[in-house]
Amino acid sequence: MLRSMAFLLCGSIALTAVAQEAKPTAVLSGLDNPCGVAVQGATGHVFIADHKGVHRLDPKSGKAHVEISGFPTDIYGKGPKYNIGPLGLAFWDDEHLIVGDGSRPDGDELVRIYKVGKDAPHADHPPIKEDAAVATLGPIKASEESAKGEGNFYGVASNGKSIFITCNGDDTKGWIAKSTATNGKPGALKLSIATKVATEVDAPVPVIFGPYGDLVVGQMGEVSTPPGDSLLSIYDPETGKLKKNYKTGLNDIAGLAYSPKTKKLYATDYSWSDPKAGGLFRLDIDGDSIKAVKIASLDKPTACAFDKNGVLYVAVFGTVPEGSEKPMGSLVKFDSGL
Amino acid sequence: MKFPPRFLFSVLFGMSLAASVAISADPPLGLPSVPVPSDNPMTAEKIALGKQLYFDGRLSADNKVSCASCHDPAKGFSNGDRFATGVEGKKGGRNSPTVINTAYGVLQFWDGRAKTLEDQALGPIQNPIEMNMTLAAVIKKLNGIDGYKSQFKKVFGTDGATADGIAKAIAAYERTVISGNAPFDKFKAGDTKALSEAAQRGQKLFFGKAHCSACHAGPNFSDNSFHNIGVGMDKKDFDKGRADISKLSGDTGAFKTPTLREIAKSGPYFHDGSAKTLEEVVDHYAKGGIPNEWLDEEIFNIKIAPAEKADLVKFMTEGLSSPDYPEHKAPELPK
Repeated sequence: MLRSMAFLLCGSIALTAVAQEAKPTAVLSGLDNPCGVAVQGATGHVFIADHKGVHRLDPKSGKAHVEISGFPTDIYGKGPKYNIGPLGLAFWDDEHLIVGDGSRPDGDELVRIYKVGKDAPHADHPPIKEDAAVATLGPIKASEESAKGEGNFYGVASNGKSIFITCNGDDTKGWIAKSTATNGKPGALKLSIATKVATEVDAPVPVIFGPYGDLVVGQMGEVSTPPGDSLLSIYDPETGKLKKNYKTGLNDIAGLAYSPKTKKLYATDYSWSDPKAGGLFRLDIDGDSIKAVKIASLDKPTACAFDKNGVLYVAVFGTVPEGSEKPMGSLVKFDSGL
Repeated sequence: MKFPPRFLFSVLFGMSLAASVAISADPPLGLPSVPVPSDNPMTAEKIALGKQLYFDGRLSADNKVSCASCHDPAKGFSNGDRFATGVEGKKGGRNSPTVINTAYGVLQFWDGRAKTLEDQALGPIQNPIEMNMTLAAVIKKLNGIDGYKSQFKKVFGTDGATADGIAKAIAAYERTVISGNAPFDKFKAGDTKALSEAAQRGQKLFFGKAHCSACHAGPNFSDNSFHNIGVGMDKKDFDKGRADISKLSGDTGAFKTPTLREIAKSGPYFHDGSAKTLEEVVDHYAKGGIPNEWLDEEIFNIKIAPAEKADLVKFMTEGLSSPDYPEHKAPELPK
């Protein structure tokens, strides 16, 4: 197993900084630890998950409202500590949003699907209550396969047939959970891919579908040291088999997105212990190696998603000054061209 | 940078100060290639010099304490005691971490204050309760020994010993202290008889219910990270560990995850050497450690039967002890 892993792991990595970094444009500020971004195909509305709930933004008008609220609060970390709520977002279809939970203890967390419709944001919009989902998946309770049960669902990917959720409960396994649809309805959420067993690195975080239907996963690695241990792993979504595993040289991959225009792959690096090294990167895959090219420095970026025109939206944690409680999170965008 | 192919042999130096040094381009079964920094390539002469320095008590103020005093090959490259003993019998406050496979470490020392083996190598020499020397004093002493002065000139092209040369030579030697090819590795590679039934049961527990692999992960059984495992946290003036370096309160009481390879030889255990046996270690984890506000989330009460504890220990002692243990002996030292 180890030997085949070593064979799969590609030795060559390179980090390159571009001379002229791209400039992001702030489109929404005052967010409280934003962790999830999804773009609604039909409207172009951007949905952002933060501690307070799920926000809907119409980039054309600049208007935003809270779409879903009422989530409990969980605290991540022991110092610094972060209040977190809903985490990963992805669309099931044009009107249904999948929300991965981070607001409860491991073993109690849920994946909810909400009907969000297509109405534009307006000030007196009544938020959908957190428990008013049209479908609820989970929880994944403690079992022999997951010592404390699963939670902190950072990443959500859907192809309309299956939903994949990255979990951060049992650190011996690094599970990705899967729900398979029957007659158009999502089925039970089950543990599917033990990423840590496959890669020997902690913490699957972002998950997306690649251009050819593969499941593309960012394995964050350890957060307390900056060893550049993040991986990009490619799995067969049907069998869960690891097809390819790349060392990226990034510290803490938190977001992944393919440009619909250029088909290029982008990643955000949160870089916990060395935030200055973090930002948005393009991942250039060349055979068995990856070159991570820095596109822009960002202050603790998390999730990212493209709209159909190739505009990239990135959620950014930001840094709250000592003694302040003012949320410093934001949503920024990079205009088409990436 | 990895070991270049030309090192695919064991070399015996024909010098009067012969030192047997094995270097291999092929890492042992179960381990990746040893990472080598580009500014300190491995050479046989450098490794031999580093080995002499490692075993030489003259690097200390009283000429009695060497690296090997606290990191003894005969004691799992630790020292068998709860705390290290330095010059004039002075005691440190932490257990001597093993040097085995530290080549794969991302940060060095229990609190990760050294970024490389080279950074680490000069620390104990200057520590007042370890070797208690200044760099200037140790350089002067080494340059007064012809055998060292000539080797530094040959290896580094310098006019005798330098701090940089001492650090690089010791680090290069430490990168040869490797243990792999253990029964666990053979079992994983397909040899179903490599582990006893008890060790196989222990392996299943290790990677499952006992939750050990949450931190003791990867080829070297270490995630190279720092965790508060609830050791020593009931003391009023507990050791703050990594937090003193990172300045992050979340790192309070957190220490580096040690490798478990050759763990049977390197006791006592934990950063404070408070567990004399692996049975005590397993008991500690089963209870979930000493509660404290920084306790790692991976540490929690685990229901594990006495027979299962024995199996876990069996896996660690039998499964992770290599027949190719680096039984290094002290070389003849320059005069």
